[in-house]
Formats: sequence, C-alpha cells, structure tokens
Amino acid sequence: MNVLGLRGAYRTISQFHENPRLVAWLSAQPWVIGFTAERRKAVLFFGAIIAGVAGVFSRGARWRDYRALTPWLEHGLAFLFLLGLLFALYLAVIHFKQLPATVRRRPQIWLHLLFWLLLVCLWFFTKRGGFAVAVLALILLSFPYLIWRAGYMLLSGQRGKAFNSRFRDHLFYIWPIWDGTNTPPGKGHDYLSRTQAQTPEAYARAILGGCKLLLLVAIWKICLELLGALIYGDPKSSFSALLHGYAVGLPRLKQILGARMLEIPLLQVWLSLYLELIWETLSLAAKGHVWVGVIRLFGFNIFRNTYKPLLARTIVEFWNRYYYYFKELMMECFFLPTYARHFRQRPRLRVIAAVFAAAFVGNMYYHLLQHKEPLVLGDWNKLWSLLGARLIYCALLAVGIAISMLRQQRQRSQVQASVAGPPNRVFTLRAIAGVWTFFALINFWNVTSHLTIAGRARLFFSLFGF
Amino acid sequence: MAERERQRLELIEFLRTIQRPDYPLDGIDEESSLVESGLIDSLALLQIVTYLEQSYHIDFNERGIDPEDLRSVNSILELIARDSAS
Repeated sequence: MNVLGLRGAYRTISQFHENPRLVAWLSAQPWVIGFTAERRKAVLFFGAIIAGVAGVFSRGARWRDYRALTPWLEHGLAFLFLLGLLFALYLAVIHFKQLPATVRRRPQIWLHLLFWLLLVCLWFFTKRGGFAVAVLALILLSFPYLIWRAGYMLLSGQRGKAFNSRFRDHLFYIWPIWDGTNTPPGKGHDYLSRTQAQTPEAYARAILGGCKLLLLVAIWKICLELLGALIYGDPKSSFSALLHGYAVGLPRLKQILGARMLEIPLLQVWLSLYLELIWETLSLAAKGHVWVGVIRLFGFNIFRNTYKPLLARTIVEFWNRYYYYFKELMMECFFLPTYARHFRQRPRLRVIAAVFAAAFVGNMYYHLLQHKEPLVLGDWNKLWSLLGARLIYCALLAVGIAISMLRQQRQRSQVQASVAGPPNRVFTLRAIAGVWTFFALINFWNVTSHLTIAGRARLFFSLFGF
Repeated sequence: MAERERQRLELIEFLRTIQRPDYPLDGIDEESSLVESGLIDSLALLQIVTYLEQSYHIDFNERGIDPEDLRSVNSILELIARDSAS
C-alpha cells in the first residue's frame, strides 16, 4: 500500500462517524428512531433533578450544625431554594420585556449582584452559626456552578429567543447530568436548540460523533499514561512495569517550582515547560471530550471543547481551540458587551479593552468564583495565595491575545491587498513554535505553588539567564 | 425586495474584503454559517459588527451583540431588517 493508500485508510477510519453507510444503518435502528428529541430532553430533565440533588448533597458539610435539625434537611432546603431561584429566573426570562430597563440591559450583572449580596449576608452572620447559616452556605457553595449556566438562560431572554421555551428546556443544561466544571459545555438554550438533532439521521450522526470523542478520550488517556511513565517516571502509570522502570525522569513544572529550580539544568526546565503544555492540553482534551461526547449521545451535535490547539499558528487561534467553551463564556459575558459599549470611535483601543475585559477581568473573576470554599468562608489570604500568580498569568494572556488579534487584523488587510499564496511550511512551523513557547511560558504563572509572586518572578527570569 | 437585494450585494461585497483568501465565497449559501464554513474567522465577526454600525447605524450598545445574528448572510440581513423596522 502506498502513502496515498495509507492516507485514505487513515481518513476512512478516523472519519468513521461520517460514513454514509454507517449513518444509514444506525438511523434505521428502532431505538434511534424511538428516542426522539422530545424524549431525550425528558430524560435529561429528570437527570437534571437527580444531578441537582447529588450536586447539592455533595457540598462540604463544614457548616453543618448538629444543634440544628437533621443535616440532610439543610441540603434539601438548599436544593429547593436553588430550584426555586432557577424557576424564578426562568419566569424572568420568558417575561423578559416586563423587567425593569436596568435589569433588561445587564441581566447577568444583576444575577452576580444577587450572589454577592447573599455572600455578604453570610459573612455578616457566619459567626452566629445555626441552621439558616448552614443552608445559606450550602446555597452559596452551589451557586458558582449554576451562575454561568443560568447566565446563558438570561442571555437567551435578553436576545428574545426564549419567550416560548419551557423550564425543562433550560434545567437540563443548568444542572447537567454530564457534570463538568463551572464552564458550561454546549453553552445554553440558543446553541443547544440549534444543534439538536431532529431526525433519526441527524441523531445517528450525533451519536457517531459522540462515540468518536469517547474513543479519543481512551487514546488521550493512554498517551497520558505513557507520558507519565516514560517522561516523568510516574510509578502509578500502567506503563511503568512495561518499561521496567525506565524513564527520562523529567520533573513536572510543579516540582520545579517546589524545588525552586535548584540543581535542575536549564535545558530540563525548558523541556518541562513544553511538556507541561502538552500534558495539560491532552488532559483537558480528555475531560472535554467526555462532556461533549455525552452531550452528543443525547443528540446535540455541538463543537468539541478542544480541537487541535497544538497546531494553532496564532495565540488567538490557540485560545479559541484550547478550551472553546471557556473562551465562548468569556466572549459572551465580557468581550462582546465591552466591545459593543466602549471606545466605538477608536477601533484598536476597542479591541484591547474587550480583550482585557475577557482574558484578564473575566478570567480572574471566573477563577475567583471557582475557589468557592475560601470565598464562602471569606478567607482572603487563602484566595490571594491561590490567585495572586494568576493575576500575572491573565495579564500576560490578555497582552498576548490583544497583540495577536491586532496583528491578525493588520495582516488580513495586507493579504487582501496582495495576492495570497499557499502558507510557507517553515513559516507555519515557526508560528506554531512561537505559540507553544508563549503558552508554555505563561503557564509558569498558572501552576499552583507556595512560592510568592516575587519568588516566582525570580525563577521566571532565571529561565532567560538573569 | 429590491432593498434587501441591494443590502445583500453590499454585504457580500464587504465579506469579500474580510474573508479568508483560500475559501471561495461563491460556494457558501446564504444560510451557511460563515465561521463554521471556514469563510471567515471569529475575529472577522468584530469587523462585521463595525460594518453594521457604520453602514446601518445599528446600535449594539442597546441591543448587545448576539453571535447568532452574525452567523450567516441571511441572519445578518434579518438583523438589518429588524433594526430598521424598530
């Protein structure tokens, strides 16, 4: 078999989810025909109730007050309050035009203000303890998971696309059975409705797309195990025994920061930086493919969360491909509102302000809410130790994206003016290497460590021989 | 209809100035997603916003930017029609 034949065989296998015969066979199966869009949504709706109960009941019992009523009652009440709040938000969405103008203009900000108001109440009463404080703490511990998802519901209302929707059309993505982080894969009602399969054929395509992602999860996990054994010498890796303990023995970035890079050759440190980027990309791809794979099995043919970011030629492209739904969240909640409202007469400043709103302000705020336990406890020292270095990470990310966007805009107008040729291979490789270097370097500020910012800065500059 | 056709031609003319050079605009139908089809990248959406502000005085400050409105040629034309009707 020649190279072309091999390439064709690889394409046939890797694109099996688009094989017309397979799609036709699957779409003729009775369970695919019978599991209609409406039935799938019904399953997801009941799944949301279960996921909601499980989610709230899994929250820490740190605030459990045994002098009060039974502990389960606190969790139960917290769940009912949150369900009631989501229903109230849903009512606001379907009657969006009747809301006060200030709320209509910035509904998400009002939702976040409600969270902060409840949080301040908790901080104020927290020393009293008791049943009500325990319930409030449980509500606030669950809130960050729901706030961005409920935010998408409010966006649908603001855009006039949800006035005839039902509560079940929203609840399944607010408390999804596929779980995940605070970032909602599949975004909200608008995007999910658009991508929902309505025919057996479309559903078959979505299922096959989901299966492909779940297969990729297995492949990426094997790669991670192999990387763990071969590069890092991880004894827990399944390949350790197979390799008879042989390993290159490079340290992880976290270990490098812990050891303050003492006695670690500079070349190894640089190699570790790049390998950390590869490791994190594979880990994120594996996690994201599980969420998106399950969503596709339920007939929503949504984009992947991670799509070949290591082949990105620009920083913007990498950000778009690395964690797509986080980027979309930042775009919709921070970038676009800033772009729409500020510096409209100054195009470059407009882009810079919007990028900083998303990559710096939004990114920091999202991660502040992610550290829900110290936040609910009002432990600012802990929050600073967790997020201090991230300020630098987000600032560098924002600068990189802003420069990349402005450069891309300029290049586009230049390309339009001249005749575009095919991309040069050397130029492409250089661009990819530049993107890897940028993200590997800023990741230095993203890894958890007990080092102070000044200590981390000293190590960072020592990478360049200072 | 003539007005819509004029707007469509002007929009396509504008899209030619921001499209990726290696993707033919002619192969894209009016319902196709401009980004998903590969014709433009997500950054170019911002240029569409600027185009709509300058050419049709659409105030995104009031309505906010909904990426769905900028998805395809048809959805952009509908946005222009909705805005001029309101």
